[in-house]
Amino acid sequence: MASRRNIALYLVPAVALVTVFLVLPLVVVAILSTTRWVGVGTPEPVGFDNFSHLLTDPAFRRALANTVLWVVVGTVVHTPLCVLVALVVARRPRGWRFFRTAFFVPNVISATALALLWYFVFHVSLGPLNTLLRAAGLDDWARAWLSDPSTALGATMTPWVVYVGFGMVLFLTQISTIPREYYEAAQLDGASGLRQDLHITIPLIRRAIALQVLFVVGYALRSFEYPFIMTSGGPADSTMTLSLYIYRQMMTANQYGLSMAAGVVTLVVGIVLTALIFLGLRRAER
Amino acid sequence: MLGKIARWSVLVVFTLITLAPLLWLVLSSFKTDAELFGNPFGLPASWSFVNYQDALDAHPLLLFLRNSFVVALLSSVLIIVAGLLASYALMHQFRLSRFTFGFLLFGILLPVNALMTPIFFLVNMMGLYNNVLGVALVYAGLFFPLGFLVIKSYMDTTPMEILEAARVDGASFHRIFRSIVAPLSAPGAVTAGIFLMITAWNELLFASILTQDASAQTVQVGVRYFLTAYSANYPVAFAATVMAIAPTVVIYMVLSERIVDAMTAGSLK
Repeated sequence: MASRRNIALYLVPAVALVTVFLVLPLVVVAILSTTRWVGVGTPEPVGFDNFSHLLTDPAFRRALANTVLWVVVGTVVHTPLCVLVALVVARRPRGWRFFRTAFFVPNVISATALALLWYFVFHVSLGPLNTLLRAAGLDDWARAWLSDPSTALGATMTPWVVYVGFGMVLFLTQISTIPREYYEAAQLDGASGLRQDLHITIPLIRRAIALQVLFVVGYALRSFEYPFIMTSGGPADSTMTLSLYIYRQMMTANQYGLSMAAGVVTLVVGIVLTALIFLGLRRAER
Repeated sequence: MLGKIARWSVLVVFTLITLAPLLWLVLSSFKTDAELFGNPFGLPASWSFVNYQDALDAHPLLLFLRNSFVVALLSSVLIIVAGLLASYALMHQFRLSRFTFGFLLFGILLPVNALMTPIFFLVNMMGLYNNVLGVALVYAGLFFPLGFLVIKSYMDTTPMEILEAARVDGASFHRIFRSIVAPLSAPGAVTAGIFLMITAWNELLFASILTQDASAQTVQVGVRYFLTAYSANYPVAFAATVMAIAPTVVIYMVLSERIVDAMTAGSLK
């Protein structure tokens, strides 16, 4: 019989995993974010000092601003690109299965490997990018992409374009649920392919678009590999991200209280942005 | 006609963006240092595996690969077992079933990197710092919601009539799980497993904060040794990178449909 005891027994491993590695760290990060602690001895309570320090730390402010920028670029540049590719593939041109499979490939490759590759692409003296520019006679354009504060952030964000396949698959999945009759009716009315895309497909995949924006937020908050490997957050912290800031306070500065306070801010930013997306979706569905 | 040209240009441009860098990486891994800089975009003069041999000699790459495999396998198995058991428990209605479902899933929306500091201390306190077991357990916890979602969505398609019939025949709670629900959910568990192994294999941040030397470091951590500011032999570094990504790319080539499904599964529900 499905006794209460049996049900509880089957839930033990899952509840244990979530409690130990998600709930407990959440509690600890919240409590220790209000202390000063170097890793040994007793954490010293300092109230909200860590948070006020974060707000005045240029590196942290830069990390927050960059995260917002990642979210904005992801929403207004990356997501429309994903929609564009999905709309093209959804028409099932010759070889569409190949394209769908190929575009998704970068999503199964480690960001570490791709970041190492892009690090080399942007390398000042050896990188293929500068080689190409010089070969094209554009010597003025060739530069130290990763150590120039005006280009470093752009260089660490550029590799993002390879992830269009993920959004594309989300959109294709939802496009495949749209009834054929909608398009047939539109065709009888003489609507062009572009009009069908704009007035039928895009409104009907708004759930998938909201979900993609949710992934964009998650990616922006987790962003670590590209700045870590390509620039280490430099030059002058211009490519800093929240994850990299937490990492640095913890591994290099041993400022554990501060690092946990930065973690709390990251969580709060994540919760706020997620709530905004859900609110936006609810309005769009009305 | 114009639309057709526009559509094909989109396809060609994105094929170049996604595949050209990878192709270039593989080609470059066969070149000599001089060739890489003299002829960066051509084919290598000879297809010799000397860079690959050098990569294996320079750092304990096989050990890194083994650690990655152990961590990926162990964390995925833990998640699958815990996920199957919990999904089965949640097929039954009880007072807190909705709450429990939410509790097991809420982590999917968390930016878990924010938890790296407490998790670092937690693993240290468990005595599992610089130990593949520590990394595997952390992955099992952090990625559990992802795997659970895939397994549960699959298990929920099991027809309730089969369970009812088994109950009428006198099969016990455990028996129904072992002989009916678990085997029927195997495809979902395999899909989750492939997806989880790829995710674990590719993880860098937690692997690097929880380990210290080659005895526990994964290949994502180890591959960085090949590109330091002072000693960089790029073709050898590329050979190491190719070995680090080959397993996931090969699995993807064989099982692309399943992996695409898993990585986007349940997300539209």
